[in-house]
Amino acid sequence: MASQHDPLLARAWRPTAVIVAIIAGAEIAQRLSWLPVYIPSPSAALANVIAKPSLLFANLGPTVGRAAAGFCIAAFLTFAAASVAALLRPLQGAVYNFGAILHSMPIIATAPLLALWMGTGAPLQVTLAALACQFPMLVGGIQGLKSADASQRELLLVLSASKMQTLRYLLFPSALPYLFAGLKVAAPSAVLGTITAEWAGSDRGIGAMMLYALFAYDTPTVWLSVILTCLLSAAGYGFWAFVESLVVVSTREIELAD
Amino acid sequence: MSRDINVEQVSVVFDGRKGRTIALEKTDLHVEAGSFASIIGPSGCGKSTLLRLIAGIMTPFAGKVRIGGQTPGATRRDRGLGFVFQSATLLPWRSVRHNIELPFDIVGRKDRAREDAICTEMIELVGLTGFENALAHELSGGMQQRAAIARALVLKPDVLMLDEPFGALDEITRQHMNIELLRIWAESGTTALLVTHSIAEAVFMSDWVHVMSPRPGRIISTIEVGLPRPRNLDMMRTQAFFDCVNQVRDALFMRDLPLVGVPNQLEAF
Repeated sequence: MASQHDPLLARAWRPTAVIVAIIAGAEIAQRLSWLPVYIPSPSAALANVIAKPSLLFANLGPTVGRAAAGFCIAAFLTFAAASVAALLRPLQGAVYNFGAILHSMPIIATAPLLALWMGTGAPLQVTLAALACQFPMLVGGIQGLKSADASQRELLLVLSASKMQTLRYLLFPSALPYLFAGLKVAAPSAVLGTITAEWAGSDRGIGAMMLYALFAYDTPTVWLSVILTCLLSAAGYGFWAFVESLVVVSTREIELAD
Repeated sequence: MSRDINVEQVSVVFDGRKGRTIALEKTDLHVEAGSFASIIGPSGCGKSTLLRLIAGIMTPFAGKVRIGGQTPGATRRDRGLGFVFQSATLLPWRSVRHNIELPFDIVGRKDRAREDAICTEMIELVGLTGFENALAHELSGGMQQRAAIARALVLKPDVLMLDEPFGALDEITRQHMNIELLRIWAESGTTALLVTHSIAEAVFMSDWVHVMSPRPGRIISTIEVGLPRPRNLDMMRTQAFFDCVNQVRDALFMRDLPLVGVPNQLEAF
């Protein structure tokens, strides 16, 4: 029953052990030349960072900032759209379809097209980060705001609650688990969207670093950028999972016997 | 203050995938101000529909509903209605106290100290003192339903409507809750209308039992319960109680009996 004394440690040790095992496995496989292709060892990627710390500092910040900005803009807009769809049911289909169409556009192709219009600066990456991550949040918002059950809605009706009160006292709180599911799925997408957008001509950022290293056949740096991308995405997911654990009241957790 | 309920020639039609269903046909119902009335009938006879019409959750296809002379919508906007659902319908993220306070939040807070005092009084009335800060899932079914009753009463409604509130409870808890509800009703002085499918419960609780038949739903018989108040469990062993139960049972199974109530309801036979 250690989980009840220290839930954070209890929840964290398994994923941490998996990551450590993968890194150790990669290191060993590389050292023993088990791999059919050349992949630099994790220690080589790390040595790369130590040798050129500016690589990390110059590129990590812009990517984090752009991904976060795009994510926040998308979160705000999708939540507003989902609220409108929840209050005006006839609009729901239109909002859903619009989100789905935006989501189905290939970012790799839209990035250069948007670059022609917006230039290759930060606005482009922010826009593409927002486009890449909006759909899960929109789906979470719309589904969540629909999730209150019929008798709860009737209760608010009997109390003569206004639409805004219904949203505030019922629809929004019951949507929270769905909203957090959307935020958790969207956070890695915002990172990936930003990196794809940086390929379209940014001079800074993990995506730019990745591209330059690819053209220079600098494999350790490519791998470093892959690892950084993974870590950023995982951090985005982890951040929202943590906020969720603070905000959402877990209504029922039954541990079944094994 | 309490108000009477008048339902006149109300019909409700549902358009479903299998065509039209007549849920209620030209139904009349009268509940005296301050009395306790029950509606009883088999599943699917439209008793919940009738209750929802009176609460203004639904609107009738034809006919009219008046509560103290006002429309259900107007009564609702005056906060004159209390409604207890089949399931307690507590908001799971709010504590017991915050659930009971919900009607105040919606009406708009005016005098927090007074409202807090009313909440405390209601929590006491339904016997939940000590559980104010519990969440819904931490309570038993009976306690959840008590919290729901407190929430329905917190604005001192003129009419309290209960839609099979104890249907999910066991027999023992149910009898306790019935006695509690009668005590709460007597103290609050509202008009109460209870939907149930337990004959004994209907007779034990009510001044008048309205019996409904299905397809199309309508009230086929109204039986007056002459038992004195306050009621207690010993009355459930009296001849008067059994006579009433038998009258209701006969009406439910459509036996030819002298009917009390509106003469034109005889046409149903």
